[in-house]
Order: sequence, then C-alpha cells, then structure tokens
Amino acid sequence: MTTPSSRTGISGFDQLSSGRVREGGRVRTGITELDEMLHGGFMEGDAVMVAGSAGCGKTTLALQYLVNGVKLGESGVYVTFEEMPDQIYRDAKNLGWDLRKLEEENKFRILCTSPNLLLESEGESLLDESLRDIQPRRIVVDSLSHLAMFVKESELRREAYRLIMHLKTKGISSLLVWESPQMAGGSFSITEVGLSFLVDCIVALKPVEIESSLRKALVVLKMRGSDHDKRLREFQITSTGIKIESAFTNYEGVITGSPRKVASEKFMDLFRGAAEKRK
Amino acid sequence: MSAAQMLETLLASETTGDLLVLFHRNPGLIDTLDSIARRIGRTGNAIEEDVRSLVNLGILKTKRIGRSEVLLLDRARDREVLDTIAKHLRNLEGVGKIDNTKF
Repeated sequence: MTTPSSRTGISGFDQLSSGRVREGGRVRTGITELDEMLHGGFMEGDAVMVAGSAGCGKTTLALQYLVNGVKLGESGVYVTFEEMPDQIYRDAKNLGWDLRKLEEENKFRILCTSPNLLLESEGESLLDESLRDIQPRRIVVDSLSHLAMFVKESELRREAYRLIMHLKTKGISSLLVWESPQMAGGSFSITEVGLSFLVDCIVALKPVEIESSLRKALVVLKMRGSDHDKRLREFQITSTGIKIESAFTNYEGVITGSPRKVASEKFMDLFRGAAEKRK
Repeated sequence: MSAAQMLETLLASETTGDLLVLFHRNPGLIDTLDSIARRIGRTGNAIEEDVRSLVNLGILKTKRIGRSEVLLLDRARDREVLDTIAKHLRNLEGVGKIDNTKF
C-alpha cells in the first residue's frame, strides 16, 4: 500500500534524522493581537488554512507570517502559483518588507510554479532544493484553490492531504491560502470539497458591510488542541501590514456579511437621537 | 565560450530578451517549458530554441521533477555570465577611449 510519506519520497529514516518534529510549542505569527487570539500562536507543525474572498488580505497575512518568522529566527518559503514574484516583491516593499534582501540572506524564498509540479510524487520534490538551501520552518502555499484546477474534485482532498502530510513530516508549519468566494454572501462554507477537515486551524477573513462601508473581519474558526478567541475581530491593512482591532461587539450577524446592530445598541441610538432633537 | 559569444547569444532575439527579463525579475520561477512560455504570452514551441541557447549558456538549468522537466535560473552561473559580459563591455569602452584620444 502506498502511504502518503512513501508517495512523497520521504523515508522513515529521513523523518527521524531530521530531528525537527516539535511538540507542544507555538508558532508566533508576530501579529500581537492574532497571537493573543491564538493563545500564543499556531501549534507547531500544524497546517493552517487562511480562507477568504478576493481582496480580504490573505496574501498580506501570509507574507507577514513569513516575514515575522524571519525576524523570530525561522526562515520561510512562499509558493505562488499565479501571482508573479516581482509583483509580490513590489507589494511587500510597500508594506516595508524587503523580500529580495531576505532572499539574499538565505532566510526566505519565493517559488513560482505550477500546482501540478508541487504535486509530483516521483523522484525529487519541487521543494527539496529550497528545503536544503534555507531549511525553512514555515511555508505558505498561495493558493490551495489552484490545485483544484489540476486535479479532479474527487482527488483534491487526497492530494491536499498528501501535500499537508509531506510538510508535516518535514516538521514545517504550513499556511495554506484558500479563496472562498461564497464567503462574500450569507453562507459561510469554507471549502466545498471538505479541505477544512484536513487542516488543524482555520483563520477566516471576511468583508463586512456596515453603514454603507466595507470593513474587514477576522475570526479563528477552528484550532485543534487549543482554546482560542472565538470573537469576530475587525482588522485593517495598514502601511505596515495587518492590524487587528476590537471585536464587533455592537453588531450581530457579522458573519453573514450584513450585520445588524444589536437591540440594546438600537435603543441607545434612539435615546441619542431623542437627546439630539431636544437640544 | 567567449564574452562576445555570450553577448551575442543574449541579444539573439526578442524572445531571449523576454526570457532573461522574466527570470531576472522572478528568480524563484521554476516551471515547465509550456508554462514559462505562457508567462510571456507565447507557446512552448515558439520559445524552445531560445530556451536551449540559454541552457547551453548555463543561465537556465533543467531539472526533473517527477515526470516533468522544469526550467529554472542558475543564480550563480547567471551572475558569472553577467560579470563576464560587464567586464567585456568595460574593456571595449576602454579600447574606445584609447582610440578616441589617438584621433
């Protein structure tokens, strides 16, 4: 029988000799408020899914996770299927992150490739050279949704499992980006193919319409083996990256994308209105 | 291969130039011939010859990933070739200066 690890060409000896299977620790994102929400960070070696619709900040969050990792002494690899690296260098520079410099220092790599190559199971893996060169502790795959273009829907879950297990075997904490257009509406399904069951943690990003303006919400939907903040928190993409703010305390139905003010807040508004009129 | 021949290879066609720009801007690009061709708006057949000359020059290298052959930039060799050409151009400039002072 073919096991996930044998399909990816990793022998048991490699797993043992790598000596990098870590236990109990946390992988800090370096975003203070998010680390607080995660009670210290993601669990070491876990597969994390960052899901959200277009323009939500998934790539920014993923890059910030890697750049902060470098600051914390953990090198990282960013795998992109669609966006070209020169665009990523440019956008990151606007946020104050010099990725080319990090690459020169052998602390970071961008790999731009096709999803089918990442899934190749025979011989040397696409990641092997980068793994040897910079020994990353963190990896981002942007995005897992692109795999769906290259494998049948019935095989997507198996292939994603193989990729996740390959990275786990290497002791690398992975962050997998998932584009979920349906999250823009009322539904809050993450993936239609059950990938959310494969990952250990899900961070969902969502646009929210409040008083005719578009704001952004972040929520930790799932975190295996750890408690976490269950509140929906507002966040902004600032000139230095993602900044998480307070929870949407005065609204309900935020997760649907069209929240309403809670009843007590509506009463407060009425009283405030009446007081204004009296003046 | 002499520096002049290297320069000649790099300036051989517009496609070679496009490939050089693509790989210099995106040094982490690692893909099949067809996918690389798509990234510069061409087909695999159309760029095959230019890719071969860059592989012969050593700027690009090939690697087997599973059943596919992929192309990637050889960063060390690329730097070496560019340094050789830069040196060659500086020498030419030097020769030009000497000639200019003569006449």
